[in-house]
Amino acid sequence: MSAAPIVFSRVGKTYPGIGARPTETILRDFDLRIEAGELLALVGPSGIGKTTLLHMAAGLETSDTGAVQTGGDRRLGMVFQQPRLLNWLSVVRNVELAAEAAGVSPRRGLELLTEVGLDGYQAAFPLGLSGGQRQRVALARAFSIDPEIVLLDEPFSAVDALTARRLRLLLQDLWLENPPTGLLVTHNTQEAAFLADRVIVLGGRPARVVEEIKVDLPRPRSPEDPALFEIHRRIMSRLI
Amino acid sequence: MSATDTVALPGVARQPEGGGAWRAWAPRLRAALPGAVFCLLVAGLWEVLARTKQSPLVPDLAEVWGEILRLLAGGMALEQVGITLWRISLGGIAGFAIAVLLGLFAARSRLFGAFIRPAVLLGLTVPGLVWALLCVIWFGVGLATPVVSIILGIAPPLLVTISQGLRAVDSELTEMAHVFRFSRAARIRHVLLPSIVPFLLSGVRLAFSLAWKVIVLVELFGLSDGVGYQLNSEFSSQNVAGVLAWTLIFWVVMAAIEFGLMQGMENRLTRWRRESSL
Ligand SMILES: Nc1ncnc2c1ncn2[C@@H]1O[C@H](COP(=O)(O)OP(=O)(O)OP(=O)(O)O)[C@@H](O)[C@H]1O
Ligand SMILES: [Mg+2]
Repeated sequence: MSAAPIVFSRVGKTYPGIGARPTETILRDFDLRIEAGELLALVGPSGIGKTTLLHMAAGLETSDTGAVQTGGDRRLGMVFQQPRLLNWLSVVRNVELAAEAAGVSPRRGLELLTEVGLDGYQAAFPLGLSGGQRQRVALARAFSIDPEIVLLDEPFSAVDALTARRLRLLLQDLWLENPPTGLLVTHNTQEAAFLADRVIVLGGRPARVVEEIKVDLPRPRSPEDPALFEIHRRIMSRLI
Repeated sequence: MSATDTVALPGVARQPEGGGAWRAWAPRLRAALPGAVFCLLVAGLWEVLARTKQSPLVPDLAEVWGEILRLLAGGMALEQVGITLWRISLGGIAGFAIAVLLGLFAARSRLFGAFIRPAVLLGLTVPGLVWALLCVIWFGVGLATPVVSIILGIAPPLLVTISQGLRAVDSELTEMAHVFRFSRAARIRHVLLPSIVPFLLSGVRLAFSLAWKVIVLVELFGLSDGVGYQLNSEFSSQNVAGVLAWTLIFWVVMAAIEFGLMQGMENRLTRWRRESSL
Protein backbone atom coordinates (compact mmCIF):
# COMPACT_ATOMS: atom_id res chain seq x y z
CA MET A 1 0.00 0.00 0.00
CA SER A 2 3.03 2.21 0.44
CA ALA A 3 5.04 4.03 -2.16
CA ALA A 4 8.69 4.95 -1.95
CA PRO A 5 10.53 7.92 -3.45
CA ILE A 6 13.15 7.45 -6.14
CA VAL A 7 16.14 9.70 -5.65
CA PHE A 8 19.01 10.26 -8.06
CA SER A 9 21.74 12.21 -6.30
CA ARG A 10 24.77 13.51 -8.17
CA VAL A 11 24.66 10.54 -10.52
CA GLY A 12 27.45 10.16 -13.04
CA LYS A 13 27.77 7.66 -15.84
CA THR A 14 30.43 7.36 -18.50
CA TYR A 15 30.37 4.67 -21.16
CA PRO A 16 33.79 3.64 -22.40
CA GLY A 17 34.37 4.13 -26.09
CA ILE A 18 34.57 0.96 -28.10
CA GLY A 19 36.44 0.95 -31.40
CA ALA A 20 35.72 4.19 -33.22
CA ARG A 21 33.25 5.28 -30.56
CA PRO A 22 34.55 7.92 -28.19
CA THR A 23 34.16 7.71 -24.44
CA GLU A 24 30.90 9.45 -23.56
CA THR A 25 29.78 10.98 -20.33
CA ILE A 26 26.02 10.47 -20.42
CA LEU A 27 25.36 11.84 -16.96
CA ARG A 28 27.29 14.13 -14.63
CA ASP A 29 26.08 15.21 -11.19
CA PHE A 30 22.54 14.45 -12.22
CA ASP A 31 19.92 15.16 -9.54
CA LEU A 32 16.29 14.13 -9.66
CA ARG A 33 13.80 13.30 -6.95
CA ILE A 34 10.54 11.50 -7.64
CA GLU A 35 8.22 11.82 -4.67
CA ALA A 36 6.41 8.86 -3.17
CA GLY A 37 3.24 8.27 -5.15
CA GLU A 38 4.24 10.61 -7.95
CA LEU A 39 4.28 9.57 -11.59
CA LEU A 40 7.11 11.26 -13.39
CA ALA A 41 7.49 11.16 -17.16
CA LEU A 42 10.93 11.45 -18.69
CA VAL A 43 11.12 12.68 -22.28
CA GLY A 44 14.04 13.70 -24.39
CA PRO A 45 15.84 12.95 -27.63
CA SER A 46 17.00 9.48 -28.48
CA GLY A 47 20.27 8.45 -26.86
CA ILE A 48 20.11 11.12 -24.16
CA GLY A 49 20.20 8.58 -21.29
CA LYS A 50 16.56 7.94 -20.34
CA THR A 51 16.82 4.17 -20.38
CA THR A 52 20.12 4.41 -18.52
CA LEU A 53 18.40 6.33 -15.71
CA LEU A 54 15.51 3.88 -15.63
CA HIS A 55 17.86 0.91 -15.55
CA MET A 56 19.73 2.45 -12.65
CA ALA A 57 16.47 2.73 -10.73
CA ALA A 58 15.73 -0.90 -11.62
CA GLY A 59 19.13 -2.12 -10.51
CA LEU A 60 20.01 -3.26 -14.02
CA GLU A 61 22.73 -0.66 -14.31
CA THR A 62 25.07 0.94 -11.80
CA SER A 63 26.07 4.55 -11.60
CA ASP A 64 29.78 5.40 -11.72
CA THR A 65 29.42 8.14 -9.16
CA GLY A 66 26.63 9.38 -6.91
CA ALA A 67 23.74 7.25 -5.75
CA VAL A 68 20.35 6.04 -6.92
CA GLN A 69 17.99 5.37 -4.11
CA THR A 70 14.91 3.27 -4.62
CA GLY A 71 14.44 2.47 -0.98
CA GLY A 72 16.38 -0.76 -0.83
CA ASP A 73 14.12 -3.76 -0.67
CA ARG A 74 11.07 -2.17 -2.22
CA ARG A 75 8.68 -4.14 -4.38
CA LEU A 76 9.43 -2.99 -7.87
CA GLY A 77 7.37 -3.69 -10.99
CA MET A 78 8.51 -2.95 -14.48
CA VAL A 79 6.89 -2.77 -17.90
CA PHE A 80 9.23 -2.95 -20.85
CA GLN A 81 8.74 -1.95 -24.46
CA GLN A 82 8.30 -5.63 -25.29
CA PRO A 83 6.13 -7.76 -22.99
CA ARG A 84 9.04 -10.01 -21.95
CA LEU A 85 6.82 -12.90 -20.95
CA LEU A 86 7.99 -16.47 -20.48
CA ASN A 87 6.42 -17.92 -23.60
CA TRP A 88 6.52 -21.50 -22.29
CA LEU A 89 4.33 -20.65 -19.33
CA SER A 90 0.64 -19.87 -19.35
CA VAL A 91 -0.55 -16.31 -18.89
CA VAL A 92 -1.56 -16.97 -15.30
CA ARG A 93 1.76 -18.62 -14.44
CA ASN A 94 3.61 -15.62 -15.80
CA VAL A 95 1.75 -13.40 -13.37
CA GLU A 96 1.93 -15.84 -10.47
CA LEU A 97 5.71 -16.18 -10.73
CA ALA A 98 6.17 -12.46 -10.17
CA ALA A 99 3.92 -12.64 -7.11
CA GLU A 100 5.81 -15.65 -5.79
CA ALA A 101 9.13 -13.89 -6.26
CA ALA A 102 7.81 -10.80 -4.46
CA GLY A 103 6.36 -12.90 -1.65
CA VAL A 104 2.80 -11.64 -2.10
CA SER A 105 -0.40 -13.60 -2.55
CA PRO A 106 -1.17 -14.51 -6.17
CA ARG A 107 -4.79 -13.49 -5.63
CA ARG A 108 -4.29 -9.91 -6.76
CA GLY A 109 -2.66 -11.12 -9.96
CA LEU A 110 -5.69 -13.25 -10.77
CA GLU A 111 -8.02 -10.31 -10.21
CA LEU A 112 -5.83 -8.12 -12.36
CA LEU A 113 -5.98 -10.52 -15.30
CA THR A 114 -9.74 -10.03 -15.31
CA GLU A 115 -9.31 -6.32 -14.83
CA VAL A 116 -7.04 -5.95 -17.84
CA GLY A 117 -9.62 -7.80 -19.92
CA LEU A 118 -8.00 -11.19 -20.16
CA ASP A 119 -10.65 -13.30 -18.46
CA GLY A 120 -10.72 -16.60 -20.31
CA TYR A 121 -7.10 -16.32 -21.41
CA GLN A 122 -5.56 -17.44 -18.14
CA ALA A 123 -4.52 -20.84 -19.46
CA ALA A 124 -3.39 -19.58 -22.87
CA PHE A 125 0.24 -19.35 -23.84
CA PRO A 126 1.58 -15.85 -24.60
CA LEU A 127 2.35 -16.56 -28.26
CA GLY A 128 -1.35 -17.20 -28.81
CA LEU A 129 -2.15 -13.63 -27.74
CA SER A 130 -1.99 -10.41 -29.71
CA GLY A 131 0.74 -7.90 -28.99
CA GLY A 132 -1.69 -5.70 -27.10
CA GLN A 133 -2.96 -8.60 -25.03
CA ARG A 134 0.58 -9.60 -24.17
CA GLN A 135 1.32 -6.10 -22.98
CA ARG A 136 -1.81 -6.33 -20.82
CA VAL A 137 -0.32 -9.42 -19.21
CA ALA A 138 2.87 -7.44 -18.62
CA LEU A 139 0.83 -4.69 -16.95
CA ALA A 140 -1.00 -7.22 -14.78
CA ARG A 141 2.34 -8.76 -13.84
CA ALA A 142 3.84 -5.43 -12.83
CA PHE A 143 0.87 -4.52 -10.66
CA SER A 144 0.24 -8.01 -9.27
CA ILE A 145 3.05 -7.61 -6.77
CA ASP A 146 1.38 -4.60 -5.13
CA PRO A 147 4.36 -2.51 -6.26
CA GLU A 148 5.80 0.40 -4.37
CA ILE A 149 7.64 1.50 -7.50
CA VAL A 150 6.68 0.98 -11.13
CA LEU A 151 9.12 1.64 -13.96
CA LEU A 152 7.92 1.87 -17.54
CA ASP A 153 10.23 2.11 -20.57
CA GLU A 154 8.22 3.14 -23.64
CA PRO A 155 5.54 0.64 -22.62
CA PHE A 156 3.11 1.37 -25.46
CA SER A 157 5.40 2.25 -28.32
CA ALA A 158 5.29 -1.23 -29.87
CA VAL A 159 1.49 -1.45 -30.23
CA ASP A 160 -0.82 0.37 -32.63
CA ALA A 161 -2.23 3.79 -31.71
CA LEU A 162 -5.69 2.56 -30.77
CA THR A 163 -4.38 -0.24 -28.58
CA ALA A 164 -1.93 2.18 -27.01
CA ARG A 165 -4.79 4.52 -26.12
CA ARG A 166 -6.71 1.71 -24.44
CA LEU A 167 -3.65 0.55 -22.56
CA ARG A 168 -2.98 4.09 -21.32
CA LEU A 169 -6.48 4.30 -19.92
CA LEU A 170 -5.98 0.90 -18.34
CA LEU A 171 -2.70 2.02 -16.82
CA GLN A 172 -4.44 5.10 -15.40
CA ASP A 173 -7.06 2.88 -13.76
CA LEU A 174 -4.45 0.56 -12.30
CA TRP A 175 -2.53 3.55 -11.04
CA LEU A 176 -5.52 5.13 -9.35
CA GLU A 177 -6.38 1.98 -7.43
CA ASN A 178 -3.20 2.08 -5.43
CA PRO A 179 -0.68 4.66 -6.64
CA PRO A 180 2.94 3.54 -6.53
CA THR A 181 5.84 5.83 -7.37
CA GLY A 182 6.32 5.81 -11.11
CA LEU A 183 8.98 6.60 -13.65
CA LEU A 184 7.75 6.58 -17.23
CA VAL A 185 10.10 6.93 -20.17
CA THR A 186 8.32 7.83 -23.39
CA HIS A 187 8.74 9.52 -26.74
CA ASN A 188 5.04 10.32 -26.87
CA THR A 189 4.53 13.78 -25.39
CA GLN A 190 0.75 13.39 -25.28
CA GLU A 191 1.18 10.17 -23.37
CA ALA A 192 3.52 11.92 -20.95
CA ALA A 193 1.01 14.72 -20.39
CA PHE A 194 -1.92 12.35 -20.00
CA LEU A 195 -0.30 10.00 -17.50
CA ALA A 196 2.19 12.03 -15.50
CA ASP A 197 2.04 14.35 -12.51
CA ARG A 198 5.23 15.97 -13.73
CA VAL A 199 7.09 15.87 -17.03
CA ILE A 200 10.85 16.29 -17.22
CA VAL A 201 12.50 17.14 -20.52
CA LEU A 202 16.13 16.08 -20.80
CA GLY A 203 18.66 17.58 -23.16
CA GLY A 204 22.38 17.95 -23.78
CA ARG A 205 25.36 15.77 -23.07
CA PRO A 206 25.82 15.14 -20.24
CA ALA A 207 22.05 15.17 -19.87
CA ARG A 208 20.39 17.83 -17.75
CA VAL A 209 16.83 18.85 -17.06
CA VAL A 210 15.92 21.51 -19.64
CA GLU A 211 12.28 21.80 -18.67
CA GLU A 212 10.02 20.71 -15.87
CA ILE A 213 6.26 20.82 -16.33
CA LYS A 214 3.71 20.11 -13.63
CA VAL A 215 0.48 18.52 -14.82
CA ASP A 216 -2.07 19.67 -12.26
CA LEU A 217 -5.10 18.00 -13.77
CA PRO A 218 -7.41 15.88 -11.66
CA ARG A 219 -7.73 12.16 -12.37
CA PRO A 220 -9.24 10.26 -14.01
CA ARG A 221 -8.20 12.25 -17.05
CA SER A 222 -9.44 11.94 -20.57
CA PRO A 223 -6.86 11.57 -23.35
CA GLU A 224 -8.88 14.16 -25.30
CA ASP A 225 -8.82 16.82 -22.59
CA PRO A 226 -7.85 20.10 -24.35
CA ALA A 227 -5.77 21.12 -21.34
CA LEU A 228 -3.45 18.20 -22.12
CA PHE A 229 -2.83 19.56 -25.55
CA GLU A 230 -1.45 22.78 -24.12
CA ILE A 231 1.00 20.79 -22.01
CA HIS A 232 1.91 18.61 -24.95
CA ARG A 233 2.75 21.79 -26.91
CA ARG A 234 4.94 23.10 -24.13
CA ILE A 235 6.89 19.86 -24.00
CA MET A 236 7.23 19.75 -27.75
CA SER A 237 8.57 23.29 -27.90
CA ARG A 238 11.45 22.26 -25.63
CA LEU A 239 12.14 19.09 -27.57
CA ILE A 240 12.54 20.56 -31.05
CA MET B 1 13.82 -13.48 -29.97
CA SER B 2 14.31 -16.51 -27.77
CA ALA B 3 16.91 -19.19 -28.23
CA THR B 4 14.29 -21.79 -28.97
CA ASP B 5 13.24 -20.01 -32.13
CA THR B 6 16.15 -21.45 -34.02
CA VAL B 7 14.92 -25.02 -33.78
CA ALA B 8 12.31 -26.33 -36.15
CA LEU B 9 9.27 -28.12 -34.86
CA PRO B 10 8.65 -31.70 -35.77
CA GLY B 11 5.91 -31.80 -38.36
CA VAL B 12 3.42 -33.52 -36.12
CA ALA B 13 -0.10 -32.24 -36.35
CA ARG B 14 -2.55 -32.46 -33.49
CA GLN B 15 -4.61 -35.61 -33.64
CA PRO B 16 -8.34 -35.16 -34.06
CA GLU B 17 -10.35 -36.55 -31.14
CA GLY B 18 -12.11 -39.83 -31.94
CA GLY B 19 -12.60 -40.71 -35.57
CA GLY B 20 -11.16 -44.22 -35.40
CA ALA B 21 -7.66 -45.60 -35.02
CA TRP B 22 -6.87 -45.25 -38.70
CA ARG B 23 -7.70 -41.55 -38.70
CA ALA B 24 -5.36 -41.02 -35.79
CA TRP B 25 -2.51 -43.00 -37.26
CA ALA B 26 -2.69 -41.95 -40.88
CA PRO B 27 -0.66 -38.73 -40.48
CA ARG B 28 2.03 -40.53 -38.51
CA LEU B 29 2.29 -43.25 -41.13
CA ARG B 30 2.55 -40.63 -43.82
CA ALA B 31 5.32 -38.92 -41.89
CA ALA B 32 7.17 -42.23 -41.56
CA LEU B 33 6.87 -43.11 -45.24
CA PRO B 34 10.08 -41.50 -46.58
CA GLY B 35 12.14 -43.20 -43.89
CA ALA B 36 10.54 -46.53 -44.68
CA VAL B 37 11.32 -46.11 -48.37
CA PHE B 38 14.95 -45.49 -47.48
CA CYS B 39 15.13 -48.68 -45.41
CA LEU B 40 13.56 -50.75 -48.17
CA LEU B 41 15.99 -49.30 -50.67
CA VAL B 42 19.02 -50.19 -48.55
CA ALA B 43 17.65 -53.68 -47.89
CA GLY B 44 17.04 -54.17 -51.62
CA LEU B 45 20.55 -53.06 -52.54
CA TRP B 46 21.98 -55.33 -49.89
CA GLU B 47 20.04 -58.28 -51.21
CA VAL B 48 21.32 -57.65 -54.74
CA LEU B 49 24.87 -57.41 -53.41
CA ALA B 50 24.47 -60.63 -51.42
CA ARG B 51 23.15 -62.57 -54.39
CA THR B 52 25.84 -61.38 -56.76
CA LYS B 53 28.71 -61.93 -54.29
CA GLN B 54 27.56 -65.29 -53.00
CA SER B 55 30.00 -64.98 -50.12
CA PRO B 56 29.60 -65.81 -46.39
CA LEU B 57 30.92 -62.30 -45.73
CA VAL B 58 27.76 -60.81 -47.27
CA PRO B 59 24.85 -62.89 -45.94
CA ASP B 60 21.50 -62.36 -47.63
CA LEU B 61 18.44 -60.97 -45.91
CA ALA B 62 16.92 -64.35 -45.18
CA GLU B 63 20.05 -65.39 -43.34
CA VAL B 64 20.16 -62.23 -41.27
CA TRP B 65 16.46 -62.56 -40.50
CA GLY B 66 17.06 -66.15 -39.40
CA GLU B 67 19.78 -64.92 -37.04
CA ILE B 68 17.46 -62.26 -35.65
CA LEU B 69 14.79 -64.87 -34.96
CA ARG B 70 17.38 -67.14 -33.30
CA LEU B 71 18.53 -64.32 -31.03
CA LEU B 72 15.02 -63.23 -30.18
CA ALA B 73 13.94 -66.77 -29.32
CA GLY B 74 14.11 -67.48 -25.61
CA GLY B 75 14.44 -63.77 -24.78
CA MET B 76 18.22 -63.78 -25.13
CA ALA B 77 18.35 -60.68 -27.32
CA LEU B 78 15.96 -58.79 -25.09
CA GLU B 79 17.98 -59.59 -22.01
CA GLN B 80 21.27 -58.49 -23.58
CA VAL B 81 19.76 -55.32 -25.01
CA GLY B 82 18.27 -54.62 -21.59
CA ILE B 83 21.67 -54.96 -19.93
CA THR B 84 23.27 -52.59 -22.42
CA LEU B 85 20.42 -50.07 -22.20
CA TRP B 86 20.64 -50.11 -18.41
CA ARG B 87 24.32 -49.24 -18.58
CA ILE B 88 23.70 -46.53 -21.16
CA SER B 89 20.92 -45.04 -19.03
CA LEU B 90 23.01 -44.95 -15.86
CA GLY B 91 26.02 -43.45 -17.58
CA GLY B 92 23.86 -41.19 -19.70
CA ILE B 93 21.89 -39.73 -16.80
CA ALA B 94 25.02 -39.23 -14.71
CA GLY B 95 26.90 -37.68 -17.63
CA PHE B 96 23.98 -35.44 -18.47
CA ALA B 97 23.58 -34.23 -14.90
CA ILE B 98 27.30 -33.48 -14.65
CA ALA B 99 27.30 -31.63 -17.97
CA VAL B 100 24.27 -29.50 -17.00
CA LEU B 101 25.78 -28.62 -13.62
CA LEU B 102 29.19 -27.77 -15.05
CA GLY B 103 27.51 -25.83 -17.85
CA LEU B 104 25.52 -23.73 -15.38
CA PHE B 105 28.63 -23.05 -13.30
CA ALA B 106 30.66 -22.18 -16.36
CA ALA B 107 27.93 -19.80 -17.53
CA ARG B 108 27.93 -18.09 -14.13
CA SER B 109 31.67 -17.84 -13.75
CA ARG B 110 33.99 -17.02 -16.60
CA LEU B 111 36.88 -18.15 -14.41
CA PHE B 112 35.38 -21.58 -13.92
CA GLY B 113 34.68 -21.84 -17.64
CA ALA B 114 38.32 -21.09 -18.41
CA PHE B 115 39.37 -23.50 -15.68
CA ILE B 116 37.59 -26.50 -17.17
CA ARG B 117 38.22 -25.62 -20.81
CA PRO B 118 41.34 -27.81 -21.13
CA ALA B 119 39.44 -30.74 -19.67
CA VAL B 120 36.61 -30.24 -22.14
CA LEU B 121 39.04 -30.04 -25.04
CA LEU B 122 40.77 -33.18 -23.83
CA GLY B 123 37.42 -34.93 -23.57
CA LEU B 124 36.48 -33.91 -27.09
CA THR B 125 39.78 -35.14 -28.46
CA VAL B 126 40.24 -38.47 -26.73
CA PRO B 127 38.45 -41.29 -28.57
CA GLY B 128 35.87 -43.33 -26.67
CA LEU B 129 38.10 -46.32 -27.19
CA VAL B 130 40.71 -44.87 -24.84
CA TRP B 131 38.18 -44.26 -22.07
CA ALA B 132 36.84 -47.78 -22.53
CA LEU B 133 40.30 -49.32 -22.24
CA LEU B 134 41.35 -47.19 -19.28
CA CYS B 135 38.14 -47.83 -17.37
CA VAL B 136 38.36 -51.56 -17.94
CA ILE B 137 41.91 -51.49 -16.58
CA TRP B 138 41.04 -49.27 -13.60
CA PHE B 139 37.63 -50.49 -12.57
CA GLY B 140 37.54 -54.09 -13.81
CA VAL B 141 34.24 -55.77 -14.45
CA GLY B 142 32.00 -53.74 -12.13
CA LEU B 143 29.25 -51.32 -13.09
CA ALA B 144 31.69 -48.43 -12.61
CA THR B 145 33.47 -49.28 -15.86
CA PRO B 146 30.58 -48.66 -18.26
CA VAL B 147 29.19 -45.75 -16.23
CA VAL B 148 32.46 -43.85 -15.90
CA SER B 149 33.52 -44.40 -19.48
CA ILE B 150 30.15 -43.19 -20.75
CA ILE B 151 30.36 -40.11 -18.53
CA LEU B 152 33.84 -39.36 -19.85
CA GLY B 153 32.67 -39.94 -23.40
CA ILE B 154 29.50 -37.84 -23.38
CA ALA B 155 29.99 -35.08 -20.81
CA PRO B 156 32.43 -32.95 -22.84
CA PRO B 157 30.35 -32.69 -26.05
CA LEU B 158 27.20 -32.25 -23.96
CA LEU B 159 28.85 -29.46 -22.02
CA VAL B 160 29.63 -27.70 -25.30
CA THR B 161 26.03 -28.05 -26.46
CA ILE B 162 24.61 -26.82 -23.16
CA SER B 163 27.01 -23.88 -23.00
CA GLN B 164 25.91 -22.83 -26.48
CA GLY B 165 22.31 -22.98 -25.29
CA LEU B 166 23.04 -20.93 -22.20
CA ARG B 167 24.82 -18.28 -24.23
CA ALA B 168 21.74 -18.00 -26.42
CA VAL B 169 19.37 -17.33 -23.50
CA ASP B 170 17.42 -14.15 -24.17
CA SER B 171 19.05 -11.38 -22.13
CA GLU B 172 15.74 -9.48 -22.06
CA LEU B 173 14.20 -12.33 -20.06
CA THR B 174 17.21 -12.50 -17.78
CA GLU B 175 16.75 -8.79 -17.06
CA MET B 176 13.05 -9.28 -16.43
CA ALA B 177 13.77 -12.08 -13.96
CA HIS B 178 16.33 -9.86 -12.26
CA VAL B 179 13.99 -6.89 -11.95
CA PHE B 180 11.18 -9.02 -10.55
CA ARG B 181 13.65 -10.56 -8.11
CA PHE B 182 13.21 -14.17 -9.17
CA SER B 183 15.04 -16.53 -6.86
CA ARG B 184 17.97 -18.43 -8.31
CA ALA B 185 15.89 -21.60 -8.35
CA ALA B 186 13.06 -19.83 -10.22
CA ARG B 187 15.53 -18.37 -12.70
CA ILE B 188 17.03 -21.76 -13.46
CA ARG B 189 13.71 -23.55 -13.57
CA HIS B 190 11.58 -21.02 -15.44
CA VAL B 191 14.04 -19.02 -17.51
CA LEU B 192 17.26 -20.94 -18.13
CA LEU B 193 16.13 -24.52 -18.54
CA PRO B 194 13.08 -23.81 -20.75
CA SER B 195 15.27 -21.57 -22.91
CA ILE B 196 17.73 -24.35 -23.58
CA VAL B 197 15.20 -27.15 -24.10
CA PRO B 198 16.07 -27.52 -27.80
CA PHE B 199 19.73 -27.79 -26.88
CA LEU B 200 18.95 -30.29 -24.12
CA LEU B 201 16.92 -32.42 -26.51
CA SER B 202 19.65 -32.51 -29.12
CA GLY B 203 22.03 -33.18 -26.24
CA VAL B 204 20.02 -36.24 -25.20
CA ARG B 205 20.14 -37.55 -28.75
CA LEU B 206 23.85 -36.88 -28.98
CA ALA B 207 24.45 -38.53 -25.61
CA PHE B 208 22.53 -41.62 -26.62
CA SER B 209 24.46 -42.17 -29.82
CA LEU B 210 27.83 -41.45 -28.22
CA ALA B 211 27.08 -43.63 -25.21
CA TRP B 212 26.19 -46.51 -27.48
CA LYS B 213 29.54 -46.23 -29.24
CA VAL B 214 31.41 -46.23 -25.94
CA ILE B 215 29.44 -49.01 -24.27
CA VAL B 216 29.98 -51.42 -27.14
CA LEU B 217 33.72 -51.06 -26.68
CA VAL B 218 33.53 -51.44 -22.93
CA GLU B 219 31.47 -54.59 -23.21
CA LEU B 220 33.77 -55.89 -25.88
CA PHE B 221 36.97 -55.40 -23.87
CA GLY B 222 35.96 -55.85 -20.30
CA LEU B 223 32.55 -57.35 -19.71
CA SER B 224 30.96 -60.71 -20.31
CA ASP B 225 27.50 -59.67 -21.39
CA GLY B 226 25.65 -56.92 -23.23
CA VAL B 227 25.28 -56.24 -26.93
CA GLY B 228 28.96 -55.30 -27.37
CA TYR B 229 30.08 -58.61 -25.90
CA GLN B 230 27.64 -60.51 -28.11
CA LEU B 231 28.81 -58.65 -31.17
CA ASN B 232 32.36 -59.64 -30.38
CA SER B 233 31.53 -63.29 -29.89
CA GLU B 234 29.69 -63.38 -33.23
CA PHE B 235 32.73 -61.72 -34.74
CA SER B 236 35.06 -64.32 -33.21
CA SER B 237 33.07 -67.10 -34.81
CA GLN B 238 33.11 -65.19 -38.10
CA ASN B 239 29.32 -65.03 -38.12
CA VAL B 240 28.64 -61.90 -40.15
CA ALA B 241 24.90 -62.54 -40.13
CA GLY B 242 25.06 -62.59 -36.31
CA VAL B 243 26.91 -59.27 -36.19
CA LEU B 244 24.34 -57.71 -38.51
CA ALA B 245 21.47 -59.22 -36.54
CA TRP B 246 22.68 -57.68 -33.26
CA THR B 247 23.25 -54.35 -34.94
CA LEU B 248 19.77 -54.37 -36.44
CA ILE B 249 18.12 -55.37 -33.18
CA PHE B 250 19.80 -52.55 -31.35
CA TRP B 251 19.01 -50.13 -34.15
CA VAL B 252 15.32 -51.00 -33.86
CA VAL B 253 15.44 -50.41 -30.12
CA MET B 254 17.09 -47.03 -30.59
CA ALA B 255 14.54 -46.08 -33.25
CA ALA B 256 11.73 -47.05 -30.87
CA ILE B 257 13.28 -44.83 -28.20
CA GLU B 258 13.60 -41.95 -30.64
CA PHE B 259 10.09 -42.16 -32.02
CA GLY B 260 8.33 -43.30 -28.87
CA LEU B 261 10.13 -41.46 -26.12
CA MET B 262 12.12 -38.59 -27.56
CA GLN B 263 9.53 -37.22 -29.95
CA GLY B 264 6.83 -37.58 -27.31
CA MET B 265 8.99 -35.62 -24.90
CA GLU B 266 9.78 -33.00 -27.54
CA ASN B 267 6.09 -32.58 -28.36
CA ARG B 268 5.26 -32.11 -24.72
CA LEU B 269 8.05 -29.65 -24.05
CA THR B 270 7.28 -27.50 -27.08
CA ARG B 271 3.51 -27.63 -26.73
CA TRP B 272 3.40 -23.88 -26.05
CA ARG B 273 4.52 -23.17 -29.60
CA ARG B 274 1.90 -25.25 -31.29
CA GLU B 275 -1.02 -24.32 -29.08
CA SER B 276 -0.14 -20.73 -29.78
CA SER B 277 -0.46 -21.03 -33.52
CA LEU B 278 -3.84 -22.78 -33.44
N1 LIG C 1 26.12 -0.64 -22.62
C1 LIG C 1 26.46 0.51 -23.24
N2 LIG C 1 27.71 0.69 -23.69
C2 LIG C 1 28.07 1.83 -24.31
N3 LIG C 1 27.25 2.85 -24.53
C3 LIG C 1 25.97 2.72 -24.11
C4 LIG C 1 25.51 1.55 -23.44
N4 LIG C 1 24.20 1.71 -23.15
C5 LIG C 1 23.86 2.93 -23.60
N5 LIG C 1 24.92 3.55 -24.16
C6 LIG C 1 24.92 4.89 -24.73
O1 LIG C 1 24.40 5.77 -23.77
C7 LIG C 1 23.58 6.72 -24.37
C8 LIG C 1 22.23 6.74 -23.68
O2 LIG C 1 21.55 5.54 -23.93
P1 LIG C 1 20.05 5.30 -23.46
O3 LIG C 1 19.68 3.94 -23.89
O4 LIG C 1 19.94 5.61 -22.02
O5 LIG C 1 19.28 6.38 -24.32
P2 LIG C 1 17.71 6.68 -24.37
O6 LIG C 1 17.53 8.07 -23.92
O7 LIG C 1 16.95 5.62 -23.67
O8 LIG C 1 17.46 6.59 -25.94
P3 LIG C 1 16.17 6.04 -26.70
O9 LIG C 1 15.16 7.14 -26.59
O10 LIG C 1 16.64 5.90 -28.11
O11 LIG C 1 15.75 4.78 -26.08
C9 LIG C 1 23.50 6.39 -25.84
O12 LIG C 1 24.34 7.26 -26.53
C10 LIG C 1 24.03 4.99 -25.94
O13 LIG C 1 24.71 4.82 -27.12
MG1 LIG D 1 15.62 4.04 -24.28
